Amino acid sequence: MVNYSKKVEEILHLSDSVEIDQIKALSEIERALLINLTEKFIDLDDAANLSKLPIDSARRASAWLAEKKYMNLKENDKETFLLTLEGKKIVKNDFAENIMIKYLEENGDSSFNQLQSNANLTNQEFTVALGINKKKAFISISNGIISLTGVHKEIKQTISKELLSLLTSKSNLTDEEKQLVNEFLKRGLIEKKIISSKEISLTKNGLVAKEFLLKNKVERVYDLEGEVPRIFMGKKAPYLQFLSQIRSKLVALGFNEMPTPLVVSEFYNFDVLFQPQNHPARTWSDTYQLTRPTVSKLPDKKIIDSIRAAHENGGKANSKGWGYKWDENIAKKLMPAAQGTAHSAKTMINDKEMPKKHFAIARVFRPDVLDATHLIEFNQMEGYIVGQDLNFRNLLGMLKEFAIEIAGAEKVKFFPDYYPFTEPSVQLSAKHPDLGWVELGGAGMFRPEILKNIGIDGQAIAWGFGIDRLAMFKLGIKDIRYLFAEDLGYLRKAPAVMLDDVRSYLCQH
Amino acid sequence: MPTLTLSKSDFDKLLGKKTNRDELEELLEYVKGEIDSLNQDELKVDCKETNRPDLWSTEGIIRELKARTGKEKGIKKYAVEKGDIKIYVDKNLEKVRPKSVCAVVKGIKITEELLIQLIQIQEKVCEGFGRKRKEAAMGLYDLDVMTPPLYYKGFKDNEIEFVPLDYKVAMRPSEILLQHDKGKAYAHLLKDVPVYPIIIDSKNVVASMPPIINSNITGKVSEKTKNLFIEVTGSKQDSIETALEVMCMALADRGGKIYSCEVIYEKETIISPKFLTNKITLTKSEIEKVTGLKLSNDEIKDLLEKARYDVQVKGYDFICEYPAYRLDIFQAVDVIEDLLISYGFNKIEPQKIVMNVVGSERADKKYEEFVRAACVGLGLQEIQTFNLTSKEIQCEKMNLPNEIDSFVEISNPVSINYQIMRKRLSPSLLSFLSKNKNQEFPQNIFEVGNCLELNEKAENGVNQKTNLCVALTHSNVNFTEIKSIFVTLCEYLDLKYNFEKITEKEKSNYSFLGQNSIKIKVNGKTGYMGEIDKKVEENFGLKKPVYLFEFEL
Repeated sequence: MVNYSKKVEEILHLSDSVEIDQIKALSEIERALLINLTEKFIDLDDAANLSKLPIDSARRASAWLAEKKYMNLKENDKETFLLTLEGKKIVKNDFAENIMIKYLEENGDSSFNQLQSNANLTNQEFTVALGINKKKAFISISNGIISLTGVHKEIKQTISKELLSLLTSKSNLTDEEKQLVNEFLKRGLIEKKIISSKEISLTKNGLVAKEFLLKNKVERVYDLEGEVPRIFMGKKAPYLQFLSQIRSKLVALGFNEMPTPLVVSEFYNFDVLFQPQNHPARTWSDTYQLTRPTVSKLPDKKIIDSIRAAHENGGKANSKGWGYKWDENIAKKLMPAAQGTAHSAKTMINDKEMPKKHFAIARVFRPDVLDATHLIEFNQMEGYIVGQDLNFRNLLGMLKEFAIEIAGAEKVKFFPDYYPFTEPSVQLSAKHPDLGWVELGGAGMFRPEILKNIGIDGQAIAWGFGIDRLAMFKLGIKDIRYLFAEDLGYLRKAPAVMLDDVRSYLCQH
Repeated sequence: MPTLTLSKSDFDKLLGKKTNRDELEELLEYVKGEIDSLNQDELKVDCKETNRPDLWSTEGIIRELKARTGKEKGIKKYAVEKGDIKIYVDKNLEKVRPKSVCAVVKGIKITEELLIQLIQIQEKVCEGFGRKRKEAAMGLYDLDVMTPPLYYKGFKDNEIEFVPLDYKVAMRPSEILLQHDKGKAYAHLLKDVPVYPIIIDSKNVVASMPPIINSNITGKVSEKTKNLFIEVTGSKQDSIETALEVMCMALADRGGKIYSCEVIYEKETIISPKFLTNKITLTKSEIEKVTGLKLSNDEIKDLLEKARYDVQVKGYDFICEYPAYRLDIFQAVDVIEDLLISYGFNKIEPQKIVMNVVGSERADKKYEEFVRAACVGLGLQEIQTFNLTSKEIQCEKMNLPNEIDSFVEISNPVSINYQIMRKRLSPSLLSFLSKNKNQEFPQNIFEVGNCLELNEKAENGVNQKTNLCVALTHSNVNFTEIKSIFVTLCEYLDLKYNFEKITEKEKSNYSFLGQNSIKIKVNGKTGYMGEIDKKVEENFGLKKPVYLFEFEL
């Protein structure tokens, strides 16, 4: 704490309850407001004008000053009337009943249609005007012709548009005027609005502080530990930030990114992957089908024939195949990609380089109902390694590396599993320090029926992970829909997503 | 993947050991099974072996485990005695449902547990393995109320009627397909057939109409039933034989005695069940190449016998004999996986891959990262929305009625809210803003995302584009503000851009934009920029004006 000399305090005649520290800590807007106020209450709007502050700033400053006991705050509720859209139109054009009278005065008797269209009245306005003028006996109607009765001239005060705008601003209304206001309210020309106004004035302490500020050149001393407003910074979406880091990891591990079309043919999604055409996973309830587009172009005949052979008799793979008649037209059907392996299938056909590592972060689509645990579309981390001498131990080695590098796992466990396109197949579970055992995904060695018939003379180990659960953990969310958050408040508050290597770096330092 | 319901106590009794949950979990790994739930005695197991119906019952799992745990080894042999039941298959079924196999199992004590398993095998085998009864459908009958020989024959609708299971009145085939629950569920399998397949005995008592329903007389199997007649119909011989053998084995495991039947076609007679075996030869080098393990001949033999292969070793060749119902064995790797499962996946030491390769990110993805980083630098909040969306958002609210049929459209959507793939990002951003009216303004957001347009010439029928959309909203937002962002971004990323007026003729393509709007071209690719039309803002329920731009990256 800074010690101020007794002398200074004496000179300034500060009262006991005023602290110099507090005065020095006043912000620019507080000071601006304070020095323009007196003991007399004035409206907050006027105070803002006087101190040349935007109204928002003046409001904030007044709240802070009141809290520090420098200022009195008085709130008043005032009942006022505002013109509605309809009301504003009348102030501009006049009342429909007056327009009608004026028209008749100028043009003489008139039919309904003629009057309405020439006087430019809407159906509703016309009906209201007709009703009112009839009631007041200003007009008479016979055989569809409207004529003036002349009564309107005898009435001194017809209702005028000036009156309407006058009444909305007048404060002390006569009984007669109150009746009119009620009528206007009923007609929807004006609406009642409670306006709360604030009046402010300085307290005794406030006056002391003002005096101190005026007499001294006081540089602001900040409350260094106080709260400050937050800035809505430009930010990446948390889930995408997570995926970007996964992508970098995979590239660092030597993987090449594959193209990931959203719409693929069943040929790549199923047929190349040795999934028979009558497989239950290929039915209506398990995958989306398309109304349009429907038919895909397939690669050259040589490839098609070898895939056909794989299904019908095993082709070049020394396998019995599925033993049914394979239908090219089924393979041509287009669908939203249902598994990331579809992209591996296509890449295997187009890129035969060996050895090579491939990956994709692929958007896939499954018919599910969107809720806290299911998405209608989600991302799969997918890929394969192709090489001359890859075996099952390598597959497990790769999975262990993933579990440690990507999921930050301590331990791994493998389970036998089944996929139509891999044999042997394995499921990977990893023990995460915070999450416990988590099922990370499936993997396996691509079947010879696939590799041999595509023309790859080697082994390929393939894997596909659903990474949403890991992402949810990293993002600290319980509801999976927040991966595609539509809540701007959440996005603005969400902290940066960091993978475990960055996290542990932060912990060490 | 079938989910099986077992009785835990029944399972332990057949296994000969009381298991706790951990032991159970470990044992089930041998059948690719995972505990779905265990409530008191009711055990539910997800069995991932979609091509091995022989495992889809308590009896089947126990059969496998006894070998895997070393109590038994090699193929389990089932004795089949010669039976005297004949079934004549009429050739008028050739184009309807041509094939049948049958068996008789006698002397079983049908307990409640067994009955549950029998129904489960029948159901799972027909639904999963039999492709929803299309390729294999199984019927079980009380043999003692039937009078052999039997006939499997096609009848016209007006030639036959019978009382279907759990009904009281006789119905014609067509009536069953229209009214009976099972009839309605599987009617498509007998759509437009010239004759209905019927199994009928020599006293003209109908046994069933495969693959739909049994008759109420013969088709009732209960705890009182002692002798069973089993038939499987379909079109593929190996499939229906597998289904039949799977059922016979489960019954035999419970003490039943299997008797063969003669299936008599016009030109041949087939005896079933056969319990045939197949042979496949593995070489040691093949095994080493796939597994990466160095194993002795004895180890290999032992591991394969634990997976119920009969193994003959000849030098470095392993001749493996296995039951013919193992239709999941296509070739050597399938046997090698079985060997690895016997070995235990978690006993294998993982080996790191050493490969001299360089990784790379796709250039388009890298470019996207630059764009996103620039947008973040401009103070914009990134959002991510779904590709799947609705016609209401992309079309109706955007005031683009002519585009209604121009989207990639799903024919079996789960909800009309997710029926199409988006063509533009702008509607998704407007929809996002409409959900955040209570958040502080200004709201300045962007998204980089895929958009799809139909294109007949493209291989997969679509042009897949990556678009950038930036949207700004607050009370005083204006054209200068959005254009400043656009121009700053383009200059930073060194993108060539120019502007073109929206002509009168083009107006209907941009009817979601207000007056202060313009077409943009960025590196030759098109887009638009400007204010959102008041009507469109109203459609989205937006209270403050929105300015945005969108273009293809």
